[in-house]
This record gives sequence, structure tokens and C-alpha cells, in this order.
Amino acid sequence: MNIVGELALWTALPVAVWGMALGFMGGRNGRGDLVLSAERAVYATLGLSFLASLGVIDLFLNDRFDYWYPAAYSSRDLGTFFKVSGLWAGQRGSLLFWLLLLNVFSAIAVWSNRRKNREFMPYVIGVLMTIQTFFLVVLLFAEVNPFERLGFTVADGQGMNPQLQNYWMTIHPPTLYLGFTAFTIPFAFAISALLTGRLDSRWITVTRKWILLSWFFLSNGIVFGMRWAYEELGWGGYWFWDPVENASLLPWLTATAFLHSIQIQETRGMLKVWNMGLVIGTFLLTIFATFLTRSGLIESVHTFAENLTIAWIFLGFMFASAAVGLVLVLYRLPKLRSESRIESFLSRESAFLFNNLVLVAATFAVMWGTLLPLLSEGFMGQEIAVGPPFFNRVNLPIGLFLLFLMGVGPVIAWRKASARNLRKNFVWPTSVGLGTGAILWAIGIRHGMALLTFATSAFVMTTIVVEFWKGTRARARIEGEGWLKAFYHLIARNRRRWGGYIVHVGVVMIFTAFAGAPWNTDIEQTLEPGQSAEITSPFGHTYRLTYEGLSTNINDRAQNLRWQLVALMSVEQEGERVGTVQPEKRQYFVGGNRDPNTGNATEVGIRATPYEDLYVILASVPQIETGMSLNDPSAQQAHFRIMIKPLVGLIWSGIMVLSVGGLIGLWPATEKPRAAKSSPGGRRAVAAAGD
Amino acid sequence: MPNNGRFMVGLVGVAAVVTYLIWTGVSETMVYYLTPVELIERFEEDPSFREVAVKVSGEVVPESYRKGQGELEHHFEIVDLEDETATFPVRYVGILPDTFNDAPDMLTEAIIEGRFEEGTFEATLLLTKCGSRFEASKEQLHDQMQLQEQMPADHIG
Amino acid sequence: MEILGALLLIGAVVAYLLLPILKGETALLHRDFEEITEAEARRRIALLALRDAEYDYHMGKVDQADYTKLKGRLAAEALEAIRAVDGVDDADLEREIALVRAGMRDGRACGSCGHLNPPGSRFCAACGLALAPPTPAGSA
Repeated sequence: MNIVGELALWTALPVAVWGMALGFMGGRNGRGDLVLSAERAVYATLGLSFLASLGVIDLFLNDRFDYWYPAAYSSRDLGTFFKVSGLWAGQRGSLLFWLLLLNVFSAIAVWSNRRKNREFMPYVIGVLMTIQTFFLVVLLFAEVNPFERLGFTVADGQGMNPQLQNYWMTIHPPTLYLGFTAFTIPFAFAISALLTGRLDSRWITVTRKWILLSWFFLSNGIVFGMRWAYEELGWGGYWFWDPVENASLLPWLTATAFLHSIQIQETRGMLKVWNMGLVIGTFLLTIFATFLTRSGLIESVHTFAENLTIAWIFLGFMFASAAVGLVLVLYRLPKLRSESRIESFLSRESAFLFNNLVLVAATFAVMWGTLLPLLSEGFMGQEIAVGPPFFNRVNLPIGLFLLFLMGVGPVIAWRKASARNLRKNFVWPTSVGLGTGAILWAIGIRHGMALLTFATSAFVMTTIVVEFWKGTRARARIEGEGWLKAFYHLIARNRRRWGGYIVHVGVVMIFTAFAGAPWNTDIEQTLEPGQSAEITSPFGHTYRLTYEGLSTNINDRAQNLRWQLVALMSVEQEGERVGTVQPEKRQYFVGGNRDPNTGNATEVGIRATPYEDLYVILASVPQIETGMSLNDPSAQQAHFRIMIKPLVGLIWSGIMVLSVGGLIGLWPATEKPRAAKSSPGGRRAVAAAGD
Repeated sequence: MPNNGRFMVGLVGVAAVVTYLIWTGVSETMVYYLTPVELIERFEEDPSFREVAVKVSGEVVPESYRKGQGELEHHFEIVDLEDETATFPVRYVGILPDTFNDAPDMLTEAIIEGRFEEGTFEATLLLTKCGSRFEASKEQLHDQMQLQEQMPADHIG
Repeated sequence: MEILGALLLIGAVVAYLLLPILKGETALLHRDFEEITEAEARRRIALLALRDAEYDYHMGKVDQADYTKLKGRLAAEALEAIRAVDGVDDADLEREIALVRAGMRDGRACGSCGHLNPPGSRFCAACGLALAPPTPAGSA
């Protein structure tokens, strides 16, 4: 299988080049036969990358330690699930995985458009194949071939780092990659629009679902990473403004901006050049994200080992793509003229524009902060760096403003909001927002940023709830439906709008979670079995954690554990027993001949409630190292770090709400247009449904 | 394009605020990012540089780890990746990252942030290179293979 | 054995790619009836905006005066977009007319130039011609 896989990888290159050439030629010369062959090339490369991926997985499953890649990342005792995930665990495999996903999406895009958008498709195929060619060239010629042989056989592989052997870490890269690669489709359509000169909003209407799909995966992928960091790294944090984290955030920021600005192009025919810039920019940022992770140019605990060959190739590709995009946009400038103007500062267009402005500003700020070491070294000869204080200082106000806009944008009128419109629609939300702020102030909350966040969140939630309320009521009245049915139909008839509102609810929840950070509490205590520690939550109640004892698990081959120490702690809240937490320390067998200490893992004990997390770390068990028998009670003395993390659970529930909203927006429209229904209020324009 | 004066004011305003935030953000929170060699050179040039907060990236000196008095106190030494003579002791109070390792055959890269106090670097931040990204080179694997051939089959423990 | 498999794979791929050209098969290059033309895209958007405006009014988000003004503008745009579309089938047209007539109930669309006038007007503000008498509620 692996031989077939390797061959498939090599075969894919000429096929991709063929598809690239024929796509462009067929489009240029109107040759339907060439275009058909190019379409087939898309399906062929899908099959070939699939075979190549199977080949790599085969190497892992069969412990082929005569190949470099499995020898470096796998070991005989690694669980099957994780052996399969070895495909994307390392640099090489992850490039192949990227290629595979790109192929899947390309094939879907070509197949679903085999009878539609025909003027676009030849060039779309050309662009997609060009990008595939690039990845194949990298895989085959930049010393990152997953099928590279060692020339000798190692008895056992190096093993997979235990921190990777975690559910969240396994799904986090693939989800992000799904987001990155899905965005290639809108990019391809944009370039195709530039090449064919069809620069109205059709290319946007066609790719809208792809943009949302990409954004959906990016959002989830980023939050999965946060979940992993929170549960696995054991520091109580979920975001560190690490360069690789930032790299994945950048395309998310611009994709969010793009999701909003396309609505303006669709309804008012404005921002055409801006949208072209955003789609090309977002695509470049997806490539940049993977470039940063691989080139080793920025020091990060996440980067792959430095590989300059790859760095140069990626850099070259990014420059070439940017140049092509720029030239095409300049060439088509006359056709990208705006069809109307912003009429008022107080309008939905204006809110969307500000949304875009701050998101792009945040992108710029994060990029600046991330690249600062490189830029300062280059221009000043002295490397300087900034960390979380910088990123928080810049992004918190931006986030707050964005939160505010989320409440304004959906409600304010298009073109020009009258004073009446403002009064009517913002009286309630503003009152609730201010009221919330006042109440929180009254109960003693003085942290400025948090206070503003909570108040603005209340403002936004009110606008959304009122929208749903009014919409459902109007529909129930007009269509004569029961409220539940009206609610369902309201959303079903305009999925994009109402799905978007639900997404906003998710975002509000996540921002609210962030605002809980100033109240993070933590204590440290050394305890012997029977002793307790107390920690008071910002919500007023006190937890009492009693250390019951340490249980051990030695040489558990089934779970690959050299040893495992589990500290059992019972938790009481205000005198009442509410549960247990079990922080652990573990050491895994990591295969090969490595030092035993490499397989360390700290498993945090978390007791999560909707409003706060009790987060316990088993920091050390001092006597264990002296070899004392565990029967001696003082041997079980353990040092704990106990934290309270208010509101963190809202991040995980928030992303689920966001996902529901996203799925609603993505759901294909299946209803046929209905005939207008007679009713006292007047005929309905339901025929125009179909979002 | 926008023809409303208030709009332009708003746009320029936002841009100005963000620029201000970035500018002050960098100037107030930046740290010098150095290798141990560069840091030591800087001291020699300018002794008062010892007081400045810096970020250093280097390698953990094998077998240099010692536990401190406090539960979460750790001592180790850091050395430049390229110049073995550039080394100094580090003291870090906090939870040791799981990937921290001072084994002789493991190249553990570390990033620390803090400042010097009487000859020891007081680190407020310690990050060690994510082990998943450690890629054993062909040479290392080859050496290992040869070692394994000489060792008994059970190499665990 | 592996050589054979390899040759088969490559052969299959090559055949798959070259056959369309050799046999002169062609992919669809020009739009067919499902294609969205620029004008149709405009029309769809105009009608969606009109529908949204209707909803907003009934939800109470916009009041009568704003609504009428907005409606007038949107209905005019919609009409223009509708006229630009070719090959609209009858069912669609029926719906669109119904829509515009709904607009007529609250404002008054001029019979000759299509401009939507505020309720109570007797003469068209755009072309000056007298407006037809108001249609009774509920009729098509």
C-alpha cells in the first residue's frame, strides 16, 4: 500500500500541472474538451492524494521504522487511533493532509458546479490546480516527503509526545486545516472573476457558503486549540498570544471582516476593491499561517523544526500570489467601481464598515506584534519582542468596540437611520446595557474593561432577543401560525440572517467568558492526606478541598503508562459535598531509547459548572523522588495549585451556540418558492425566499 | 466612496486610536529578545543592562536541574544554542512545563523572560519547546539504532 | 508485481485524462437556464430587500413614514431589476406583480412610469400623470 501511495504522490504532480494548464487554456480558448479533461484532473488528484494518505497511514499501522516519518513520530506501543493521527502529527504528513483536504474541497466545488457558473469554472480549476501543484512541489522537492526512507531500520520509533495523545489535540489541526483549505475555493472564484471580468456580486453569491464553511471550521479549530491548552498545558490559561496561535487568528479576523463586507457588496454594490483585497489577503494569511508554523522563523513552542528550504518556497509562493492578485485587481479597477455611496454615518453600511476597519486593524496589530522580532532584527539590528501585555492592550478595546457593533449593526437601518428609527430600536437595549452596568457597579464590580464588556454584552443580547421576539410575533400574526412554528419558519426562511444572530450570541458568550479573567483566583498549598484547603470564589461561596490520598498505577502497559499518580480530592461547597476532583501526574512510555522523563504529563482536575471552573493542579509530590514507600503517610504529601476560573465554561458553550448558528447559515435551502398568501396585512413576497 | 464628513471623522478616529494603542503598546511592553551570547555581550558593554527585562532563548544545560527550597522553585542553567561558553543560572518559580527535560541526549530549547538579580536570572516566564515538534534527525535515529543493537531487548526502565 | 500495479495506475490516470480530448467530449462552457445572470442576481437582491423591509415594518422596527420612503425606493429598484431580466417565466412574474401591488396598497405606484407615491397622492410625483384610483384591499 505504501508503495502505491508513494507512486500516487509522484503521479499527482504531472496530473496537477495538466489540470492547471488545461484549465487556463480551456477557459481562454473556449475548449470544452480541455476543460472536461481538467475537471477530471481534479477528481484524479483527489484519488491520488487519498491513496498517498492511505500509504502514509499504512506505514504507521505497520510500524515501518525503515521510513523516517513513522520512526520519528510513532512507536510500537502507540494506540491505533493515534497511529492514524500520525498522518498529520508531523510536518511532512501535515502537508500531505493539507493537500488531501484541498483536493476534497476542490472536487466538491467542481462537482457541485458541473452545470452552473460555467464561465467561472475553467479558471477556478486552473487556480486550484496551481495551488495543488505548489503543495506537491513542496512535498516532493523540499525534503519533506513523508515517504522518505532511512536507509536502515530502527527497532522502535521515537514515539508520539503524550501531550499530543489527547482528543482535542487530535482534532484541532484537522479542523483548522479544513478552515484554511476551504477558503481556497472563494479565492479561486475571486481570481476567476478577475480573469473573466465578471465582477458583480455573482462570484460572492456563489461562494458565500464556502466562506461561511471556512469561517465555521476556523472558529471551531481555534477554540479546540484553546480547549487543549486549557486542559493539557495545565497552566489555567487558554490563549497565550503565541506566534502560532496568532498565525491562525489572522485569517479568522479577515474572514470575519469579509463575511460582513460581502453583504454590502451584494446589497449596495460597494466595496468591490476592498472585498478583492480581503479575499486575496485572507488566502495569503492561510498560507502565511502554515508558513510560520513550518519555517521556524519565529521562535515559538509550537513551531516545527526550522527548515529554510520550505521557508523560501512558501515565501516565494506568497509573493507570487500577492503579485498576481495585485496586478489583476489593478487591471480590473474600472470594473470594480462602486455603484453607490455611504449615505450616512448612522447606517448599517457604516456599522459594517467600522466592523471591517477594526477587524483589519486587529489583524495588523497582531501581525505586527508577532513579526516584531523578525522586523526589528532586520531593520534595527536588535531583536525585540512583545507578549500578552501588548496584544491584550491593543485587542481588548478593539474587541469591545466590535462587541458594541454587533448590537448596532443588525438593528440599525440601511442607508440612513432616522432619529425615530434609532429611538425605537435602541431604547430598550441601551437601557438594559446601562442598567446592567449600574447594577454590577452597585454590587462592587469596579474593573473597567470587564464592566464595559458585561454591559455591552447585555446590550447586544437585548437587541438579539428583541429581534427574535419581534420577528416571531410578526410572523405569527401575519401567517397565522403558532409561536413555535412561527419561530421555526422565521429562521428557516432567512437562514443567513437569523443564523447570523445566533452566531452573535455565541460570540457574546465567549467575550463574556474573557471578561471573567480579572477574577481568576489561585492559591497554593501543600497537603497531607486528610488535610484541606479553602478557596473563595468571586461569586461569594467557598470551596473546601480535602485531600483524601494518592493512588498509583505503575507500568500500565495497556495505557502506555510508566506511572500514574492520582490525587483524590473531595470538594465541599459551603459545607455541602458537591463532588471530587482528581488531578494527576503521569509519565508515559514514549518508545525508542529516550530518557524516561520525556513522557511527562500533568492532568489537571477540573470541576466545571456553568459559571466557573474549579481547576486543580497536582504540582509536585516531593517525597516520591526520594523513593519513600507510599505506605508512609508523609510520602503522600503533595503540593497543589488550586484555581477558580470564573465564566470559562461560556467559551465552550459559546462555540457550540456559534456552531449551531453557523450550521443554520450553511444549511442548503430546500424549499421551493411559495405563492403569495392572502392576508389582512397584505401580500407577502415569500417568492424571493431562498437564502 | 463615503461622502459623509462625520463618517470620515469616525474612520480616521478609529485608525488613530489603534495606531496609538500599537505605538504605546510596543514601547511600553517590549522586551529585548536575545540569545545568551548576546545577553552576556550586552552586559559587558553596559552593566546597567542587567536591570532590564529581557527574553532569552537558549537550551537547557543537561543535568543542570535542581529543585529549590520552595515547592515550585526550580533551578537550572541555560546555554546558548551555538556557543557553549555562554551560560548562566536561572531560577524559576512556578509550575514546570511538562516538556521540560534536562536529559543529556535531549535538546530542550527554552524561552525565558525576566531579569538578572545578583548573578541568577530570575525568570517570570518559562516555556520549553513543544516536544511534538522535536524531530529526530536521521543521524540521531541511526545512532539510536546502533545503540539498540548493542542493548538487551527490554530497554524500558 | 508492484511494477505492474504501478503501470496500471498510471495508465488508468492517463486514459482518464486524455479520453475527453481524444473523443471530443466537452464540458459545459456556457450558462444554461439555471445560471444566475447579473440582472437576475440584482432582481433577487432587490426582492429580498423588499421582503426584509416588509418584515421590518410589521415587526415594528421601522415606522410608517420610514417604511413608505424605503419601500418606494426599493420597489422602484426592484421594478427596474425585474425589467432588466430576460426569460422570466410566468409564475415568477405573477409573484413579482403581487409583490409590487402589495407596495401599491400602502403607497401608490404610478401606472405609467412605475414610481411609487406616498398614500393619498392623486398625481405622480415623477411624471405628473394622474394616478389610478386605489385598488380595493384583498384583490389581485
